[in-house]
Amino acid sequence: MSSEPLLRVENLKTQFFTETGTVRAVDGISFEVYEGEIVGLVGESGAGKSVASMSLLRLVESPGEIVDGEITYKGETIFGLEEGPDGDLRERDDVLSNEEIRTRIRGNEIAVIFQDPMESLNPVFTVGGQLREFIELNRGLSEDEARLEAVDMLREVGIPDPEKRYDEYPHQFSGGMRQRVLIAMALACEPSLIIADEPTTALDVTVEGQIIDLVDELQQKYGTSFIWVTHDLGVVAEICDRVNVMYLGEIVEQAPVDELFYDTKHPYTDALLDSIPRPDRTVEDLEPIEGVMPEAINPPSGCRFHPRCPDAREVCRRVHPENRRVAFAGDEPHRAACVKHDAFDVGYDESVPIDPEPELMADAGSASADGGEDRE
Amino acid sequence: MAVGESQVDSGTDAAGEDEEVEARVGWRYTVARIRKDTTARWGLYVVAFVLFVAIYAAVDSNLSRLTFGQFSDYTFAKLLPIFDHPTRIPPPGEGTQHMPPYFPLAEQPWNPLPAGGTLEHPLGTDPSGRDYFTRIVYGTQVSVFVGIVSTTIGLAGGTIVGAVAGYYGGRVDDALMRLVETVYAIPPLILIIVFTVFVGGANIWYAVLGVGIAFVPVFARIIRSRVLSIREMDYIEAARASGVKDRDVILRHVVPNSFAPVLVYATLQIGVTILIVAGLSFLGYGAQPPTPDWGQMLNTAHGYMHSNVWLSIWPGLAIMITIMGFNLFGDGLQDALDPRIED
Amino acid sequence: MKLLKYALFRLLQAIPVLIGISIITFLLANLGPGDPVSLMLQGQEHDEELVRAIEQRYGLDKPLHERYVTYMAGLLQGDFGQSIYYQRPVSDLMMDRIGPTLLLVLSAYAFALVTAIPLGVVAANRRNEPTDHLSRIVALVGVSTPSFWIGIVLILIFAVKLGWLPSSGLVYPWRPPDAYRGIDGHLELFQQTIRHLLLPMIALGTLQMATIMRVERTQMIESLQGEYVKLARAYGVPERTILRKHAFQVAQLPIITIVGLNLSTALGGAVLTETVFNINGMGLLFVNAIQRNDYQLVMGVTIVLGTLFVIGVIITDISYAYVDPRVTYGESE
Repeated sequence: MSSEPLLRVENLKTQFFTETGTVRAVDGISFEVYEGEIVGLVGESGAGKSVASMSLLRLVESPGEIVDGEITYKGETIFGLEEGPDGDLRERDDVLSNEEIRTRIRGNEIAVIFQDPMESLNPVFTVGGQLREFIELNRGLSEDEARLEAVDMLREVGIPDPEKRYDEYPHQFSGGMRQRVLIAMALACEPSLIIADEPTTALDVTVEGQIIDLVDELQQKYGTSFIWVTHDLGVVAEICDRVNVMYLGEIVEQAPVDELFYDTKHPYTDALLDSIPRPDRTVEDLEPIEGVMPEAINPPSGCRFHPRCPDAREVCRRVHPENRRVAFAGDEPHRAACVKHDAFDVGYDESVPIDPEPELMADAGSASADGGEDRE
Repeated sequence: MAVGESQVDSGTDAAGEDEEVEARVGWRYTVARIRKDTTARWGLYVVAFVLFVAIYAAVDSNLSRLTFGQFSDYTFAKLLPIFDHPTRIPPPGEGTQHMPPYFPLAEQPWNPLPAGGTLEHPLGTDPSGRDYFTRIVYGTQVSVFVGIVSTTIGLAGGTIVGAVAGYYGGRVDDALMRLVETVYAIPPLILIIVFTVFVGGANIWYAVLGVGIAFVPVFARIIRSRVLSIREMDYIEAARASGVKDRDVILRHVVPNSFAPVLVYATLQIGVTILIVAGLSFLGYGAQPPTPDWGQMLNTAHGYMHSNVWLSIWPGLAIMITIMGFNLFGDGLQDALDPRIED
Repeated sequence: MKLLKYALFRLLQAIPVLIGISIITFLLANLGPGDPVSLMLQGQEHDEELVRAIEQRYGLDKPLHERYVTYMAGLLQGDFGQSIYYQRPVSDLMMDRIGPTLLLVLSAYAFALVTAIPLGVVAANRRNEPTDHLSRIVALVGVSTPSFWIGIVLILIFAVKLGWLPSSGLVYPWRPPDAYRGIDGHLELFQQTIRHLLLPMIALGTLQMATIMRVERTQMIESLQGEYVKLARAYGVPERTILRKHAFQVAQLPIITIVGLNLSTALGGAVLTETVFNINGMGLLFVNAIQRNDYQLVMGVTIVLGTLFVIGVIITDISYAYVDPRVTYGESE
């Protein structure tokens, strides 16, 4: 793995300023994506995964705003702040302008595959037309060249009879086929990084498998990096190289995929793993995570997971753990944000265990890792 | 038309959403939302003001004397005969029952028209020397009354037709919907005039009835689509299965459950109705002289456009403000009751 | 081909409605307590013999259903009967009058669409900004103001006070210029048509403008929040293209439906507008017919206006099917 990452995110904070208060959807996350790897971004609904991924393209919708942190991509600054002469934070001069982001980053450098293939395609334009438009725009091809490219790409993602289907409308495609179109769109713009935002959530399990195989195959062929946003650790295990687990706007564990599964360091990740079906365990062994995730508008004190954490102790209420290196996996760090590890040394072992908070338990059982749709 | 209908029944996507709708349609919730919503609040103020003026005009027999130091011909001491009053001078330009509406092309020279602005006649007088302000105030009554009564008729008729069609489905539905479509196809103003003149003989009560009938299709369609979605719900099935009579199922379960959105629509429809009635009166088929009615006052004023501009302005403004009030209120109510729109 | 089939299907579907319109109109005009003969002779001395003669002449002595069959048989051949007041075939009268009405209604729609769509789009794009507030006020006033009063106010300002535009009548562009005194050549004819049309067009078009603008605004707001707009943004499509193409096209679909359904208000409004501006169209013909108790003429005009509405809805349905790829032809609701 090369030393210089393709994308580096440092302490990113994205907040939504609503009538009821400030929603800290993404609250200081840091991670990297290297060339050619698939990085997972995992968590329950509302954990801030989608907002985080949209922040990378500076596509956070009003009333949301990136308020802090730094995003660098291939040495260019997508977002960055500095302290101005008057002491206020202001945007740095080397930050790409909106126009530069639009023309140089979106689509041709970083492309997106959205969650809902049913809604993502425009119902009144032909599938081919939409594909062609994006190719023209992002690769500077002529209309005819873009058309040829579009048909090739449709074939590449396994759509039979692409010349004919080029002129059909989205409603004539099945969900799986539409998701293939979206993948074709992303790849056809020849980006270096693709953000796949829950690309298989809306699909049947069998179709999901096909799509994952397709992405795996194409990723190896084109060498594109992926950020794979999902709530499904099963998918992560299958496809990702490295994983970031998110809880309430924070990354709580960060590790290479095998490390994460075999040497889990954060109780939340543990809980997620216990709640998914695995071939080596029976359904009775499944343990849903207790309670529901609190709102990001008023997160719990200390460790944000402590009200639901089976390992919670008194200290967890007080101390907010940042994501720290707790182990090594080969030469790669394994980070976790949990004070039970020695790296923290805040007196976890001496602290009194606490019971999970009752008000959050009212809905117990209903919130497994599978939160369905993800609309932060 | 298929598209128009599909827009109406949107609350059927998921059972969960429907429950939520039901929960939010509580009165307390609605009132709270209206308080918060500026549009609805202003609408409510205007509607309340207009209603107050209408009722005041109906109740206070001394209105004109007390306000203007002059006794008016129009005393509404008795509430009931709202549309029939003795008159002093038959106004020029206003026809009797079967006479055509009057559109004089040239100026009528015989009538000096005092301008407004005096304490006695703040808005001046009409061509017959009657205080214009008082007439505008009384006109409120006619507009509001006709608007509300005919909307109620339309709502009642539409509810029956829509509920029966939606509940029974099949051929009953087909037949009723074809009928509704047919009535809908004739432009309402045309239908109402034909009905009023040929069936009733240019009488305001027939106009009210005619307006009501003309708007039956609108309500029938909404009710029907609501009923169609409610019909499939479990508790209706249960009521049917346990042998409750069809009529009771419709009256006790289906109709009450489809009513809230329809009431909102009815508020908006009152505005449309007043608009139509104004046109009807303008053509001479609404309230008959000497009852003051805004549309009919505009008809008279049309002949005096060169001598007194304001005669044409005041009644129009009154119509506009009244309708605006109902529209604002209806819009606000819709926002308040629609859980899908969050601000 | 599919579209043609769909069009035919819609036309067939409309037949029962058209028959229904004729039945309702016929019943209203013939069943009322005011029977045509006494209405015709209103105010005149009349004896039994005169009444019977008139009844015979108009076939009023026959039973109702027979009269309806006769009337329908005539309708199918384009014969709407004889106008009692004008003593001319109803169809001839309507042929003269339908042109101005169509001209008026179509130009009112043109005015409404040209003003409402850009305003609605801008309002949606700059939500809660001054333009948006302005458009909402315009829409509210537009739906709350009677068209005939707008006409009156326009006349007061532009004809009476300023004297810029004529207050009544219409110059028909399809007539030769020498049919009008003082009009020289086709260009002036066209100019005069515009000058005469301007005020009634605005009067009749304002309500349509207001309703279309409201729908346009909400549809654009919804469309701009669509996933496909997010996707386009994520692929670097310029905001202007998104507004004008991606979001816009989807938002226009309901407008087509609204235009069709609103035709019934527009035709009703034409009656009032033509009265205010003294335009010799179907509306004024209807008012005259009603005043004269010319029931044959009233029936004719009512049926034709109802039919115009039905045709309008069919045309918009077909356009919708043409524009929206999701509509599957040949399937009813």
